Amino acid sequence: MDWKTETRGERLVGRPHGRVDESNWLAFSQALVAAIATAQAEALSFVVDLSGVDYMSSRGLRALSTALAAAKEAGVEMALAAPGRAMQQILAISRYDKLFTVHDMLPD
Amino acid sequence: MLVRFWGTRGSLPVATRAEQVRAKLVGALTAASGRTFADAGEANAFLDGLDDFALTGGYGGASSCVEIEGGDGDFTVCDMGSGLREFGLSALARVSAGHPRRFNIFLSHLHWDHIMGFPFFAPAFDPAATIVVHAGHADAEAALRRQQEEISFPVAFDWLRAKIEFVHMTPGAPREVGGMTVSLIEQFHSHDSYGWRFEAGGKAVVYSTDSEHKSEAMAAEDRFSDFFGRADLVVCDTMYSLRDTVSLKQDWGHSSSLVAIDLCRSAAARRLALFHHEPTYSDAQIQGMHRDAIAYEELTRGDGPAVEVLCAYDGLEVTV
Repeated sequence: MDWKTETRGERLVGRPHGRVDESNWLAFSQALVAAIATAQAEALSFVVDLSGVDYMSSRGLRALSTALAAAKEAGVEMALAAPGRAMQQILAISRYDKLFTVHDMLPD
Repeated sequence: MLVRFWGTRGSLPVATRAEQVRAKLVGALTAASGRTFADAGEANAFLDGLDDFALTGGYGGASSCVEIEGGDGDFTVCDMGSGLREFGLSALARVSAGHPRRFNIFLSHLHWDHIMGFPFFAPAFDPAATIVVHAGHADAEAALRRQQEEISFPVAFDWLRAKIEFVHMTPGAPREVGGMTVSLIEQFHSHDSYGWRFEAGGKAVVYSTDSEHKSEAMAAEDRFSDFFGRADLVVCDTMYSLRDTVSLKQDWGHSSSLVAIDLCRSAAARRLALFHHEPTYSDAQIQGMHRDAIAYEELTRGDGPAVEVLCAYDGLEVTV
């Protein structure tokens, strides 16, 4: 998994790429924590762009929900965006589509 | 080894209501759409062809009880939920045919839904029977005695006629019991719970119910992958959606099919049986959860081997 961030207007966009699974969930989790700290410091919202994610296992999903709790604690609005077909299914199966705001496309 | 499920429902036994039976009948008759069947065999073949277990069968409603055959002939049973009553009747019939009257019971924990079948366990009234209750909890005997105190039940524990023994086991100290090597692992659940691993003849079965795998403890999940390692069948608590386990039902002590699949994959386990079904779920909802679990396994398989995902129901038998 690769991870990049980009500031777009009033949003910090996190871009994981590849698989998020048992081998790299910790790096993914640490990247989310760091991004939320940046978003808090710069008064930005935080969007995770899922368009480059092939699939995400339960540890990656739980890293996301842990990050959501941290974002709420930090006063940072966090959302998911642009899941591909596999990630759409995984979000639905896990019911994480009810836990997160999920945008079909990356917001402008 | 043979694994026989006598109770698969979580937390509270449930029963199918009249309107639910009627809905199944209406669904099957509608699907038949004017067909005629010469005999029961033709009717059964038609129902099998519908490939809709929620309509043509059902998952049952007895609470946790799973029998494992494969040792030296003793009965081996995981948990004593309400499914134990039906198992006890089956055991008596087998005893009448010459089966030894020795029962090795392994308790995941002492919550009510996992011990409530014992006061109704017919072999406990057989003076020639021996019942050995194995538990990771030192207070297992107290829990069984307490539920048969007068305030809760009319038949006192001391009125039972079988020879009843208690064995306290600890993780990291496997024992040979009934011809199987048996080990246990501590799990996260209120008042603790324990998963059990049974090995015999080169086969392994794991029974891991009422086990929450918490987000803040993900780094420690490898110990479960090790415990499940290369098992032929893993029976796992998959009571809730992943969302529920991290939100409303966090700390309720249960897990999801997604985590179970990932643990089985990491463990290179062959098959997973979804277990401890939510009591409010209809048969259709359990079937939907099963289909979702299969889809998740396929979506996240990557380059690894498949994990076959079964959905346990009362009466299911799995040969491993």
